[in-house]
Order: sequence, then C-alpha cells, then structure tokens
Amino acid sequence: MAKTILAVDDSGSLRQMVAFSLTAAGYQVVQAVDGVDGLNKAKGQTVDLVLTDQNMPNMDGLTLIKNLRGLGTYQKVPILMLTTESSDEMKAKGKAAGANGWLVKPFDPKRLIDVVQKVIGQ
Amino acid sequence: MGIKNLPVTELRSLLTAVSEHGTQHLIEVEADLMQTTFLLSEAIEKLGASFMAIHGAVMDQQKELSLITNQLNLTKDDIEKLDGIKQKIGQEVNAAVTGLQFQDLTSQLINRTIKRVNGLKELLDALASHGNVMDPGHEHEEIARLLEEMNKNLSMRSHALEGGLRRAVSQHDMDSGDIELF
Repeated sequence: MAKTILAVDDSGSLRQMVAFSLTAAGYQVVQAVDGVDGLNKAKGQTVDLVLTDQNMPNMDGLTLIKNLRGLGTYQKVPILMLTTESSDEMKAKGKAAGANGWLVKPFDPKRLIDVVQKVIGQ
Repeated sequence: MGIKNLPVTELRSLLTAVSEHGTQHLIEVEADLMQTTFLLSEAIEKLGASFMAIHGAVMDQQKELSLITNQLNLTKDDIEKLDGIKQKIGQEVNAAVTGLQFQDLTSQLINRTIKRVNGLKELLDALASHGNVMDPGHEHEEIARLLEEMNKNLSMRSHALEGGLRRAVSQHDMDSGDIELF
C-alpha cells in the first residue's frame, strides 16, 4: 500500500510540482493550502510524512509542526520543512519545533524523493 | 530669521505636494505589481497544465514504444540509444519541475514589495498630516519642534515598516536548494 504524504503549501503551483514528483515515485499525496487546512487534514487521516512550507496565511509551518507534535498520533511522524527560508536561525526554530529536516526551495524532484525515501522508505 | 519670514505656507504646500505626487506614483507601482502577479499566476497555471499534458503524452508514447520495441529484434546499440533518450527526458522533466517553482519565489518577493509600497504610502500620508499642523502664526520654536517631531515620527514608522518586512526569499537563481536532515 502506498505511503501517504501530506503536502502543505499556499502556492498552488508548488503543491502541483510536489504532488507530481511524489506521485510519480509511488506515494499518495494529500494537499493542504495552509497550516489550518494541513492540521485538519492530518487529524482526519493517517499520514506517513508531512512536508510543509513555512510562510503561509492563517497558520505558518512552525505553528503547524508545534500543533501536530501536540497530537498523540503525530509525535513520531516525520515532518520536513520545504521553504524559501534558508537562514540558520529559521532552521534552528524548525528543529526546536519538531521538524526532522529542512529543504530549501526550489527543490529538485530526484533529491526530494531521495530524502523522502530515506525518511519513510519506499 | 525673523518670525514673519518663516515660509510656513510654502513648506506646507511642499509637504502636501511630495505626499500627493509620491502617493500617485506608488499607486501606479502597486497597480503594476498586481498586474505582474496576475500575469505570472496565469502563466504558471498554463505552463503547469501544459507540462502535465506533455508529460502524460510522453509517458503514453514511451509505453507504446516499449510494446513495439519488444516485438522487434533491436540491436544493443538501438536499445542503449532509446534508454539514453528516456534518461534525457527524465532529466529535463526534473529540471522543468525545479524551474516551474519560480512563481512561489517571485510572488513572495512581489508581496513584500507591495507591503513596502503601502507602508511608504502611509509614511507620505503622515508627512502631509504633520505638515498641516503647522500654521503661519506659529512661533519659530514651535515650527522647529513640529519639524523635529515629524522627523522622529517618520523615522519610527520607517523602522516599523522595515521590521515587518522580513526577507524570506534570498535565492538569486533557480538552482535547487540545500537539504539538511536533523
């Protein structure tokens, strides 16, 4: 059974490219338009990995991670940030919030799939 | 300079003119940025749809080609050539996926610029409002105090504006970004 990845990003074109890349690699992708939508979708189903943007309306990525880590079912689910932000300060905040990795946009599909496979397997 | 020589009316007119002309230009800048955002948004939508359609067609073509070549007695060279083409398509698809993320980066930069333009409009509005407080009947010291107050207020607003405009996009090209696992 295909593993499910929750992709959270307010940019439709970015979500489209993430979904395209991961679906081609055999993963099932659930899309969310911001942190609030991401949190609701995460609560409604089992997700194997969360891939989230940082700067989004309504709820940003760091807040989403903190909320997810507060849920019993998401304490050990891998969460990766995929964002334009690249400063050490923001990475440290991501790590402190509970992120397992930091990917700076734009992403290369092959490298994204390599990281996802490394984190959750095929 | 004597009290009667203070050109307060002219100073007020100047401040109002700076504010009005500046605001008018900034309205144009904002309109152009909004139009650019709209065009980029429509462009990426069309590019994305075309990319998906082309990719789907290429996949279908490769399936058909695979069926045909399986029925033929191809030489090792032919098979290697076809594999090479397939790999090349894969590399180009990956490069296109990376390139098609441009709108996410550019829209963040444009939004930041629009916020700065709006902040600057508020600054210019404050400039005119402060100028209107000045009166030709004011003493020299009072005018000096009002100008100093105006200067401080503008400086404070400018710093507040800068503080609310954190730079989230530092990329200068579309090369793929770094990856770090914690």
